[in-house]
Amino acid sequence: MSTNQTQIVGQSIQRKEGRDKVTGAMRYVDDLLFPEMWFGATVRSPIARGRIRSIEFTGNLPWHEFTIVTAKDISGQNCTALILDDQPCLADKFVNHAEEPVVLLAHPDKYLLEEARRAVKIDIEPLPALFTMDDALNQTEIIWGDDNVFKTFLVEKGNVDDVWASADFIVEGEYETGAQEQLYIEPNGMIAMANADDGVTVWGSLQCPYYVHKALLKLFGLPPDKVRVIQAATGGGFGGKEEYPSMIAGHAALLAWKAGKPVKLIYDRAEDMAATTKRHPSRTRHRTAVNKDGKLLAMDIEFVIDGGAYATLSSVVLSRGTIHAAGPYACDNVRVRSKAVATNHPPHGAFRGFGAPQSIFALERHLNKVAATVGLRPEELRRRNFLHEGQTTATGQVIREKLDLDGLLTRALELSDYHAKKERFAEHNATNATQKKGIGFATFLHGAGFTGSGERFLESVVGIEATATGNVCILVASTEIGQGTNTILSQIAAEALRLDYEMIELAQPDTANVPNSGPTVASRTCMIVGKLVESAALGLKQTLVQSGLLTDDYSLDEWRQACAIYIAEHGALKSFSKYEAPPNIFWNDETYQGDAYGAYAWAVYVAEVTVNLVTYETRVDDFVALQEVGKVINPVLAAGQIEGGVAQAIGYALYENVVWDNGTMRNNQMTNYIMPTSEDLPPIRVFFEENPYTYGPSGAKGIGELPMDGPAPAILNAIESAIGVRVNCIPLLPETLMKVMNA
Amino acid sequence: MQKFEYANATTIQQAVALLGNTWGEAEVLAGGTDLLALMKDYVVAPKRLVNIKDIKELKGITMTANGLRLGSLVTFEEVLDNAAIKRSYPAIWQAVAGVTSPQIRNMGTVGGDLCQRPRCWYYRAGYGILAKDENGKALVPDGDNRYHAILGNEGEAKYVNPSSLAPALISLMAKIKVAGPKGSREIAADQFFVTPKSDNEREYALAPNEIVTDILIPSASGVKTATYEVRQREVLDWPLATASVALKLDGKTVKSAKIALGHVAPVPVDSDAAAKALVGKAVTEDTAEAAGAAAVANARALSRNAYKIQLAKVAVKRAILQAAG
Repeated sequence: MSTNQTQIVGQSIQRKEGRDKVTGAMRYVDDLLFPEMWFGATVRSPIARGRIRSIEFTGNLPWHEFTIVTAKDISGQNCTALILDDQPCLADKFVNHAEEPVVLLAHPDKYLLEEARRAVKIDIEPLPALFTMDDALNQTEIIWGDDNVFKTFLVEKGNVDDVWASADFIVEGEYETGAQEQLYIEPNGMIAMANADDGVTVWGSLQCPYYVHKALLKLFGLPPDKVRVIQAATGGGFGGKEEYPSMIAGHAALLAWKAGKPVKLIYDRAEDMAATTKRHPSRTRHRTAVNKDGKLLAMDIEFVIDGGAYATLSSVVLSRGTIHAAGPYACDNVRVRSKAVATNHPPHGAFRGFGAPQSIFALERHLNKVAATVGLRPEELRRRNFLHEGQTTATGQVIREKLDLDGLLTRALELSDYHAKKERFAEHNATNATQKKGIGFATFLHGAGFTGSGERFLESVVGIEATATGNVCILVASTEIGQGTNTILSQIAAEALRLDYEMIELAQPDTANVPNSGPTVASRTCMIVGKLVESAALGLKQTLVQSGLLTDDYSLDEWRQACAIYIAEHGALKSFSKYEAPPNIFWNDETYQGDAYGAYAWAVYVAEVTVNLVTYETRVDDFVALQEVGKVINPVLAAGQIEGGVAQAIGYALYENVVWDNGTMRNNQMTNYIMPTSEDLPPIRVFFEENPYTYGPSGAKGIGELPMDGPAPAILNAIESAIGVRVNCIPLLPETLMKVMNA
Repeated sequence: MQKFEYANATTIQQAVALLGNTWGEAEVLAGGTDLLALMKDYVVAPKRLVNIKDIKELKGITMTANGLRLGSLVTFEEVLDNAAIKRSYPAIWQAVAGVTSPQIRNMGTVGGDLCQRPRCWYYRAGYGILAKDENGKALVPDGDNRYHAILGNEGEAKYVNPSSLAPALISLMAKIKVAGPKGSREIAADQFFVTPKSDNEREYALAPNEIVTDILIPSASGVKTATYEVRQREVLDWPLATASVALKLDGKTVKSAKIALGHVAPVPVDSDAAAKALVGKAVTEDTAEAAGAAAVANARALSRNAYKIQLAKVAVKRAILQAAG
């Protein structure tokens, strides 16, 4: 009998696939070879918007040897199915962004293929293109729908307009964030086999097998059992492999179908950076009414994001950004008006945080301005407005958990030695003309799982199957993308069944073999899928108990024996669990009111910086990340998630600048797209608090995206405390700071 | 990458014979750290690669009382591992220490450092070294020129010379020895780099069938030298500006100075103005700053790179202070 009931959850158990990754044994999609496999390439639009006049196949190339696919070859619907299905799989007649796929080529010789790709000339009559949110809003051209607007939301609580007249202060501010590239280590790639008899099978680097499945069904007009999607080992995603893999899978499958050969389509780094999605750029305007005691009376927020040329996921990114825009504060009057607009950039998409880093950046910068206006310290202003149990968020969600943001803030400020440093830095800055030191923080939340009714609509299913040896296999479409899915789900199952961790395996995500446990996104895998794994595991045990083969108290041997007998008698021992919303969770999609998320993780992050006023470089010297996450399933993996997210967000704040040139990413190489290295990063000190969430596995909530939200505002707040100048746009590059300081 | 013929030369004579008379037909393969990326991106598409890594005469570091000789195949890592260079030629050692990652330092050679192509992203995107579109319109002036030249940018070439070693070599008055079909010649380091007038020319004073064989650096005995590099991130990054200085002091007074800047112009800049500002004075924060200001007195920012003027100035100042110790 496994005597220690809680020994597995909460332990830093080794990653399931860690050894294979470290030793190079893991097979990624580009490592897979099939007999007679051809290679595929994508010919893309060189310009941002126009009418396709002709496609010419030039040069002295054996074109008859190539498989050539254009929009005409699509048997189903020419779209990359997602939410609105407005994005073509291949551009037909018009192009709406640079790098939009127009022609596909396949050939057995990948060197010749690349020459051919360069010899396809797409003649396009240019049309005026939009590259800014203002131009989109002003409708200088109409490039999408009637008004260039993919989606609008209005969240209203109380009535902000009743408050302005009676406020002691009204504080306004505008905040901007740039695009950001996900930069997973492994670029995108797919292999497809496809023909009329067997249907379509793809292997690829991806986060969401059933998204790809859905897209291929529409593209080929096939029944569900004729499309099969298998996840190969995936080297990172960060949201960048949420929706775009559907496009690449479609391309590989179209080529494979026409060529009658397996086709491998792998992007190199430059193509991946130029063509695939990035984080949505944003602009937020705040107008805040506050009284002289620092009580927030009204928050009026306008939030706009640049969705790029097609709707893709912009509506849901906007939704999360909108709901997070008012932060972890109690305010009686809140209005958030938000818009996702169309431009002729390549579509922006999912990226860790999913809209929340943008709107939280704005709020946490703005609250420092509000504090300064009122004459309070930033921590004091927040303390006077924090949400408490029983109070409601902007969407009217009643906080039902024991929530102590005050305590969290106090602890974070202690861990970072905030108050003493603030004093020391003031002295230092008074005597040092060129090196200015500062410290700042941000207080925030991140909702776990799909927004609003999302999880209800998903109806995720998880399966678990025991073998005659008593080992257990978890059947989920949730993917391991480096974040530790395989490990934590195994820990949860082992804990629920009181088995050894080594007895748990995960089935390869393969739509022919695993149920749809939903996409691997939205900080939902641990909390939502983990809970389903837990209940499916308990269902497995229940089956054995009800069959009289097991008592509630069992040893490993008794478990193995029970499984063997059951399987001998019944053939298989499986249990499935389907998502049901926790009681008292309600969401109104019409009014955008209700319980936006089942649970939130709460955090206070503190950044310490030095700004050099000669070179205008900013160095983050120390970073404290304190968060309440319900229950930590695996401390090393959880801390790794936080450290990685903070590093990514330091890049977002200070380094990573997507340089746009007429809608084309000019710096689509890692030489010029500067992400911070370990040498550029401070010690990232991670601390957890646990307040178990009833509907999470062992009480766990989601944490994957949380660490992306807080660092940028904390760092900019620290910079303001160092130099006394407010900068409200990121990335804040040295040359930008120089301009601001010399203005 | 286009298919190519791979030729392995074991002597200098073989190598130059295999190179031919036209730029672009054949390329020299040493460390390959720049060349392979250019080929993968179809920026260059040679029909032949001439591997010179097996030519023994191109290897080795020799230090005598008269100076230092670096074979062109010496890797950055070999320089970094050489305590004598660190002691006697800090400007060289510090320039090499700034070169990106261990992988690049293990493969990259000092000869290759001098012959690498510009980092200009228009060049790397296939628009040629003068960065023009198909209609002949120059892309840099109205385009994104944040990494482009602030000095010597009046002509068509607006990229910056990418060499890490060049400023140090110029400040130390080194010579570059090259070999061609007719034998060897030596080129002063400050004459080695040229500004091409067309895409068919190169940025260095080699003929298509010449290769760099040696770098010859005179003795720096009694000379105080240093290199200072400004880059955006701590590692794995290209410099935004570098400066190398070589100072001869008489007591505290600067008797002579040679100051060169890198990554600010299409060729490394030998700044007489900075040197003049320093000669005859003691090295102080103020005189070093004045020399930095003199170095960029004629700088002219493009639309998006004014910040580089400040960085170049800072690099010169810090290099002087570092050299003077």
